[in-house]
Amino acid sequence: MEIPYIVTPRKDTGLFNSKIAIWLFLASEVMLFGGFFSAYVFLRLGADYPWPERTLPVLPGLINTFVLIGSSVTVVFAWASLKMRQWRKFQIFMGITVFCALIFMVLKAIEYNVKFHHQAVRLSDYSIMEGHLGFEMAGDKPVLDHKGNKIEENLIYVETSKLTFNTVRFHKPWVEEFLTEAEHKNSKIVLAADVTAITKEGQKAPEIVAKAGEALSIEFLNRLQKIHLAARSHNGAYRTAALRGEWVKAHAANPGKRDWQIASGVNIDVKALAPKLLDEISTVAFKVDPPTSFDFHPRDIKEADGQSTLRDGTVVDGKLEASPMVFHHVDAIDFQYLVMKAVAKGIDPEVAIQNSWLMKNSPFVQQAWKWHLAEMDKLKKELAVHHREPTHKELYRLGWKDLARMAEEEGGAKISGADQFKEEFFGPNYEARGAETFPEFSLPREQVGFAAKFSPAWNTYYAIYFTITGLHGLHVIGGALVLSYYLFFGKKMYLTNPEWLANRVEIGGLFWHFVDLVWIFVFPILYLM
Amino acid sequence: MSSHDTTHAGHDAHHDEHHHDPGFIWKYVFSSDHKMIGMQYGITAMCFLAFGFYLMMVMRWSIAYPHQPLPEWMSWIFTDGWKARWLQDGKVTGETYNMFGAMHGTIMVFLGIVPLGFGAFGNYVTPLQIGAVDMAFPRLNMASYWVYLIGGLIMCSSFFMESGAAKSGWTNYSPLAGFADGQVVNQFLAGQTQWLLGLVCLITSSLLGSVNFITTIINLRVRGMTWMRMPFFVWAMLVTGFLLLLAFPPLEAAGIMQLMDRVGHSSFFMPTGLFTKSEGLADLSGGGSPLLFQHLFWFLGHPEVYVLLLPAFACVAEIIPVNTRKPLWGYKSMVYSVLVLGFLSFVVWAHHMYMTGMGAAVSTFFQTTTVLISVPSVVIITAMLISLWGGSIRFTPPMMWACAFIPMFGIGGLTGLPLAFNLADLHLHDTYYVIGHFHYVVAPGILFGFFAGVLHWYPKVTGRFMSKTLNHLHFWPSLICMNLIFFPMLVQGMAGFHRRWYNGGDAYLAKAQDSVNIFGNSVAHNIDMNIMMSMGAWTMAAFQIFFVINLLTSWKFGKKANSDNPWNATTLEWATPTPPGHGNFLVEPVTYRGPYEYSRPDCDEDFLPQWIAPKNAAPVEKPADKH
Repeated sequence: MEIPYIVTPRKDTGLFNSKIAIWLFLASEVMLFGGFFSAYVFLRLGADYPWPERTLPVLPGLINTFVLIGSSVTVVFAWASLKMRQWRKFQIFMGITVFCALIFMVLKAIEYNVKFHHQAVRLSDYSIMEGHLGFEMAGDKPVLDHKGNKIEENLIYVETSKLTFNTVRFHKPWVEEFLTEAEHKNSKIVLAADVTAITKEGQKAPEIVAKAGEALSIEFLNRLQKIHLAARSHNGAYRTAALRGEWVKAHAANPGKRDWQIASGVNIDVKALAPKLLDEISTVAFKVDPPTSFDFHPRDIKEADGQSTLRDGTVVDGKLEASPMVFHHVDAIDFQYLVMKAVAKGIDPEVAIQNSWLMKNSPFVQQAWKWHLAEMDKLKKELAVHHREPTHKELYRLGWKDLARMAEEEGGAKISGADQFKEEFFGPNYEARGAETFPEFSLPREQVGFAAKFSPAWNTYYAIYFTITGLHGLHVIGGALVLSYYLFFGKKMYLTNPEWLANRVEIGGLFWHFVDLVWIFVFPILYLM
Repeated sequence: MSSHDTTHAGHDAHHDEHHHDPGFIWKYVFSSDHKMIGMQYGITAMCFLAFGFYLMMVMRWSIAYPHQPLPEWMSWIFTDGWKARWLQDGKVTGETYNMFGAMHGTIMVFLGIVPLGFGAFGNYVTPLQIGAVDMAFPRLNMASYWVYLIGGLIMCSSFFMESGAAKSGWTNYSPLAGFADGQVVNQFLAGQTQWLLGLVCLITSSLLGSVNFITTIINLRVRGMTWMRMPFFVWAMLVTGFLLLLAFPPLEAAGIMQLMDRVGHSSFFMPTGLFTKSEGLADLSGGGSPLLFQHLFWFLGHPEVYVLLLPAFACVAEIIPVNTRKPLWGYKSMVYSVLVLGFLSFVVWAHHMYMTGMGAAVSTFFQTTTVLISVPSVVIITAMLISLWGGSIRFTPPMMWACAFIPMFGIGGLTGLPLAFNLADLHLHDTYYVIGHFHYVVAPGILFGFFAGVLHWYPKVTGRFMSKTLNHLHFWPSLICMNLIFFPMLVQGMAGFHRRWYNGGDAYLAKAQDSVNIFGNSVAHNIDMNIMMSMGAWTMAAFQIFFVINLLTSWKFGKKANSDNPWNATTLEWATPTPPGHGNFLVEPVTYRGPYEYSRPDCDEDFLPQWIAPKNAAPVEKPADKH
């Protein structure tokens, strides 16, 4: 059995099989990216916050555009070389194509990396601060957690005296973290009181399952979980049987009545059933001795002074400690959202800014804003000549380039041209520009409204940016893998059936053009608009 | 399987590379033969259908007897631990009902009907009908089955997780679905996330499948098989392929975005200021749009209905001419209708969203297109009906199902009209009327079409007929029970029964016993129907056993088919040996005429197959341009 039209085209359609397939596949890809671009339009039109405009680094994006266009050309040359049976030239052109893909992904990786390390916080009054978080330091050296990672200063600290675990839902890695942290801090987590329960049917008095003072361990929690689940199953079976019995009685007592008419009177006689039921241990409390400060990622905890709750149901008793969010370098201050909220309420933007928490509490912000207002006056005069006005973003946002210019003008801090060029790719150069340009700032926890890295979580713009470019990046990787397969493992097929290999390169090339085309849309939409 | 071996041997005489026996695993498990893959799809899909049916039986208990513990004959399947977690004193809880409801819909649509129609029938029959040796990309075909199976297993495995399976309806609307199972720390172990991962697998599978189908139909048609000589079945599969190809990607986009919402804490579908009882004010940026999810979902969702339906149309359209011994009436109009249907199905999606406040202009547009799309469907169904007229109908087992399909689907289709108008929809939206309408289309409609298809092609697959007696025992109770279940739904729906009442409405009764709707109907009048409908559902389940017995026993003990073309049919699949071997045809066939040449006055027999050469035809040259 052999499938026709793998290599030669069918006469009436003029196509070989995989060419039809790739066009169909691309049609579905158009629908996929079409879905995302429609989502972009929908989200942007419906955004109820200032949509970030022109926030991405244009230079690497522009380079990537030309890199991809170039590779689209070379992939055609590679295909043409195969058609002319010039293997060496095919290798060269395909090599360039794959190398272009590599450049693209490296630039993309740098861009992503910068974003993932850039912290943003929206204060309760909707003013926004951006920058780079500090790490916890002991003297000159950063403190490491038990896994050997540096600890970012964006944690919530609770001076914990008691931990109550949910025996079903407790999250094992978190329990392990409690144990190692406690060990580091010379504290012990031990059972607060005897755990007693009726674990077997017919037991007269509760048996002691575990004695007070037993140390916390995963095995121990697992044991309690087993007891809990066994008791739950046991009780469930008895209660079900009892309810069935009640319904038989109820139907006999109420002939002709509908279920819903008598349902409220049908209940399990819990007292009669009680001797048969077991105790379900659903929570277990441990005391931390001596009370120790544990840290939690903000997303994992609903913090409150006295009693906080973790996402897995663990209750943490203890005093909430000061848990500021410490920016090692502040590199942007943004009042756009605050102004938007103020205008909606009929408050003058400048009044709202002057009343914001940042203006009242940060001399740096006051100084920067004063400089910025002067700059805006100059800008307004310049633009007035052309009958234009500054944009909302120009008026109310101080980006890192503004702060750098301010420092250069006022303090004379200059950096080299090479460093400036690097900044186009890697963002602000904190080391070279120093703390006078990007100062440290400590934000009290209660002022934090919403905080996130420049990740999909920060807002829907970054969400759609990461999703579209991420998916596009996956396409680049996939395409590059396939093309490199032809490059490095194509020789055998070239020798036996070069036309077939040329067909494969052709459809690989068609895909590659599509990947390029998507980027042609992505670049202006996400980087320039 | 003796005839299979001879086919294989005869075939191998020409192709030396296939000498060795592929071995059990490669022949039955990792097969790349379209017929074996079709059967794998069919068996897997039927297992999922049975499972989805079972979920529904539990739900029907909760609707009929919400205060009583689940009876042992239904609950024995669960472990004690599972029962203790998900049943409260043996009763189905609202949470469990939601879980079963969401998974019932998902399993039936994505894991049952689509794979059965497109995957099983499409795979088995399409290449045979166009005279191809296999699909254009056999290994891709295999991959698409395995990705489907993995996706299905991922979804169903979530029943055993602490969080349980997805509970936000088969439509998975955000923000509800974005929050569900938020308490689970490792999101990859949450049912709601598993649902999305499973769905991404299923979409990938459909994508591979549809590319393969369309390529096969365009490029592998045998000599003489021009477009207008293709059986209607193939046309329907072509359109289904395009629907899957173009409608699924936007849902994939939605799925990826919802996955980002769940795992990456983004806010694609999460509006600003979302507050929940369990989490308080959401720790999210907000700014997203729940409506966006609905648009993307229904952009798939509506074409998906036709993905379900067209394979059933396809089966019935093949069965009717064979059993009436006359050509399919209006073949060309049916072909054009199915193309128009395919196109229009892309522009009707928002009729599922009249209640979202899209605005009158948008609603009017979608109301118009929705009414328009009923035209091609009616053309097809009418053509089928007229095909019966004046035929010498043989009531063979497949024909019984096909004949039942037409009125059942008719009810399903006509009950859709009031839903198409947004004024009427205001009243009927989210009531049992919608459930009744949709299930009339899918259960007695599409499933009957598939039963017909199984009975029709069974002799080709096995060389034996399925039992007529067992079929009677299966058919009549199924027909009666289907109507017992679904017709009362229409009545209940008009009386205002909400589709998500897990207790069948008696919690509502307890609060508002005397409330009456505009028709003067009340919940109290109609609540007793619940019991009858549930009884109907359970009875129907019992009678499906006859089908399973029939399917399994006829394989070995059924009446033998006397020839390769036991129904005296005209399309190319009957030109193959029985069962068709790897490579399908002993000699490459040539198509000389249209697909439904029955009762031609110029022929001795009442059928003239596509592959029989005209008496004075010149011998066909072997084309030189292929290999």
